[in-house]
Amino acid sequence: MFIRMIRGALFRQRGKMLLIAFTIALGTSLATAMLNVMLDVGDKVNQELKTYGANITVKPKDSSLLSDLYDVEDEGDVIQTSYLKEEEVGKLKTIFWAFNIVDFAPFIDADITLADGSQVKLVGTWFNHHLELPTGENLDVGVTSLRTWWDIADGTWLDEQTEGSENAIMIGTVLAEREGWKVGDTISLEGPASSCEAVITGIFDAGGDEDEQIYAPLDLVQELSDTEGKVAYIEVSALTTPDNDLAKRAAQNPAALSAKDYETWYCTAYVSAICYQIQEAITDSVASAVRQVAESEGAILDKTQLLMILITILSLIGSALGISNLVTASVMERAQEIGLLKAIGAKDRSITGLVLTEILITALVGGVAGYFLGFGFAQLIGRTVFGSAIEMKVMVIPIVIVLISLVTAAGSLPAIRMVLRLRPAEVLHGSKA
Amino acid sequence: MSLLELKNISKIYGELKALDNVNIKVEKGEWVAIMGPSGSGKSTMMNIIGCMDKPSLGEVLLDGVDISKESSKKLTEIRRDKIGLIFQQFHMVNYLTAVENVMVSQYYHSMPDEEEALEALGRVGLRERAKHLPSQLSGGEQQRVCVARALINAPELILADEPTGNLDEANENIVLDLFRQLHREGTTLIVVTHDPEVAEAAQRTIVLEHGRVAREIINENFQE
Amino acid sequence: MSRRKMFLKMVTASLLRRRSRMLIALLSIAIGATILSGLVTIYYDVPRQMGAQFRGYGANMILVPSGEEKMTVEKAQECLTVIPKDQLLGATPYRYVNVEMTSRQRTFVAAATDFEQVQSTSPYFAVEGRWPEGDREVLVGKETAETIGVKLNNVIELSYKPEDTYVKNTLNMTVVGILETGGDEEAYIFTTLKAMDALTGVSGQLDVMEMSVSAASEELENYAAEISENNSDMSARLVKRVTKSETTVLAKLQSLVFLVTAVVLLLTMICVSTTMMAVVSERRKEIGLRKALGASDQSIRAEFLGEGMFLGLLGGILGTALGFAFAQVVSVNVFGSSITFQPLLLPITVIVSMGIAALSCLLPIRRAVEIDPALVLKGE
Repeated sequence: MFIRMIRGALFRQRGKMLLIAFTIALGTSLATAMLNVMLDVGDKVNQELKTYGANITVKPKDSSLLSDLYDVEDEGDVIQTSYLKEEEVGKLKTIFWAFNIVDFAPFIDADITLADGSQVKLVGTWFNHHLELPTGENLDVGVTSLRTWWDIADGTWLDEQTEGSENAIMIGTVLAEREGWKVGDTISLEGPASSCEAVITGIFDAGGDEDEQIYAPLDLVQELSDTEGKVAYIEVSALTTPDNDLAKRAAQNPAALSAKDYETWYCTAYVSAICYQIQEAITDSVASAVRQVAESEGAILDKTQLLMILITILSLIGSALGISNLVTASVMERAQEIGLLKAIGAKDRSITGLVLTEILITALVGGVAGYFLGFGFAQLIGRTVFGSAIEMKVMVIPIVIVLISLVTAAGSLPAIRMVLRLRPAEVLHGSKA
Repeated sequence: MSLLELKNISKIYGELKALDNVNIKVEKGEWVAIMGPSGSGKSTMMNIIGCMDKPSLGEVLLDGVDISKESSKKLTEIRRDKIGLIFQQFHMVNYLTAVENVMVSQYYHSMPDEEEALEALGRVGLRERAKHLPSQLSGGEQQRVCVARALINAPELILADEPTGNLDEANENIVLDLFRQLHREGTTLIVVTHDPEVAEAAQRTIVLEHGRVAREIINENFQE
Repeated sequence: MSRRKMFLKMVTASLLRRRSRMLIALLSIAIGATILSGLVTIYYDVPRQMGAQFRGYGANMILVPSGEEKMTVEKAQECLTVIPKDQLLGATPYRYVNVEMTSRQRTFVAAATDFEQVQSTSPYFAVEGRWPEGDREVLVGKETAETIGVKLNNVIELSYKPEDTYVKNTLNMTVVGILETGGDEEAYIFTTLKAMDALTGVSGQLDVMEMSVSAASEELENYAAEISENNSDMSARLVKRVTKSETTVLAKLQSLVFLVTAVVLLLTMICVSTTMMAVVSERRKEIGLRKALGASDQSIRAEFLGEGMFLGLLGGILGTALGFAFAQVVSVNVFGSSITFQPLLLPITVIVSMGIAALSCLLPIRRAVEIDPALVLKGE
């Protein structure tokens, strides 16, 4: 009989129940969408912030320690005496947080002399270097993706994966203008060790010192300066977690941490933890955070997340109140029916159970529909804003279920109690409801 | 000319003939009871007379005007101007006081006038209870408020549907006394009921059976 | 009593005596209005606040001499007047000079600057120890400090030999801070402009002026063009890495907040109207009674709309206040700064609330007035 009554209420009062289910669906979709967006926004914004370029630089350990204290004739430029090994660069993708290493490029500089005798800084690096990792992973890394803010004024990005790219170079706009060079010109470069001819494939506008420099493939520069297999420094772009107290303490001296703290720190993508792991992977290296990028990144991430959390809380409160409100209204609306049940001898408990079951079934239907609707909204936000899907976290489902059940129960129970307190006669005479 | 004349009225719902070729005349100032068991077509007839429903066939002449083809908007106007309704369920606006409920009727008719409304309540003996909400009134009192509401606009016809159906005997007598008083003042009354005692209070009883007029009884004991 | 008075009486009676229902409807509208005013306030405030966060990336515009000549402090200051004061967060002058450190026989780049301004244009500079306060105090880059092995509170002697003399100028300086940036700055020694003037004997010269301007990149380009146009010997350039990235990321963040606002508003508003609808639907019987008493459809609509709009008004005002409080909480917690109340938001929120209330009343009323009064009144 209980089931029959519930079925009766659900199907014969379809209009009202649909309204409740619809509202619950809206509330659920709001909660689902906001929770998912909130949980994923950190990753998404982190990705976006990669446009600022590298946030970690890796240098050889003793490059800064001067081997020759009396070497002063070079106007303050420290002569590079120690290098990193080029073959070890790929090891960046083997550290604990390898997945968070988005991009990187090794660099080596050389001062070269042009045909007219002027000196220019030549930077050797990877452009879109193809790497095959021991893990079987394939990826392209290098400055093409690391220097998002460069505008290619003329020509194209140097493509390492094409024929003849070994002798291709890119030059800055300022240098191009000064020397009157154009894309396709062949120029001669005289390095410290040897010299060569190179073809200009692109002219870039970087809005900085690079505009007066020449960028060339790493191998070319190594040959010119007789530094085969050597790398002066590596720029790394990594997804990181904003620093907290623990990260700051660890950055000072990881050895001073307790075992538990150390583990937490090591297994969190703090910039200091990633730096530490890079040092472990690459022989005689010092990895340090580029504060200009790392600091601001952390601040912006924190703020965005906090903002989203607060907006999410507001919308959760909104949808919770909205749902419980409607449920209250719908219970009160049924005062007469409840009065009748009471008049024919139903116990308060069984009435409560009946009404609650009906509403919870409705909530279930609405909730399931709402979850998928919310999924849609989350993807809409993800696609429109970030051009990628929002990852749907499984943990959202139990949160939403608990939330919706609590809210529906909280909305209906006091109303049921209130209605039950009324005298059946009054309710049935319709004079009070 | 009769105040109300039903000419060959039928109301058909699919297969069912709720009213089947009914002819009734009610003169001005007359007090008529319509009686019949459940399903005899009482309610349908009450709705048609009360301008809340239209017959499938036939004419309804109210004050000599055929209203059976009018739009529902026009019917609302006619109801407002000429008919006072009293229901079995009382039907009061539950958040308005007694006097305000009476005034609602004035409001839709013409102009709300508290003095007049209080006077009407005085006539049904509820002047003291004017400021009470429906929930604070007994069933009989509520029905008396409804009577006051029905007569406030001095309608040509008061139409009551089981006015005593939910009342005890004492209250039933009060309401019937009110009807007598109204009758004396010349108001036309049509009372739909299944209670013979209430029917006997009227001048004439029309008995409906299966949608037809079975018989008419002139009440010889009628007291002016 | 006039008809209008009776109308008001019915509406207020309905509001006051059906308290629990009206509270529900009011609460519902207030929630909608709160979310509306709160989110809209945040939406308008986020670009400004977030923009301020992005200034953490440091200078987004630099001023350099266009020829070989160095620029003067006065000239640079004059150029800055192009940029409105409230947009210019900081302007840091830099003068780079190669100086010798006597005890180490080494040449270093010394950057002379204004330390107060540095902290606003390069907020990411991390100093171990403290920032220099006087002209005899210096900041040493971490790399240099490690190279030459200086520690906090060491005194170093810097010397400089002007080109036309054989006499070196020397100054004793105290190291009060070690600078860590992860960038090229770690190789420099930072002094005040005054100390550098004393050391070199030449004053008022600058190599570059770094500026942090809170403006969109288009606006920045306009400022840069204006400065470069007005001064033939100077050119203002954008730091592309900062401006371009900021434009991209900020646009993303703004569209995120916009879309979130839109979705939340849409869903909340529908939620509000379903609640209103439920509250009105409940009164079908009452509508039937009024009709039986001779009420025209229009007057019934007017009464319910009147009630709904009043609730909308009340809920709108309540919601504006709550929404502002919410936006304030967000702003203080997230950005650490308060926001000013936008007076225009009150009428907008109230009008939207009243509109939503009216709209959500209309639908159930229409359904109710279409129903035959007889059907509603019969039975039960």
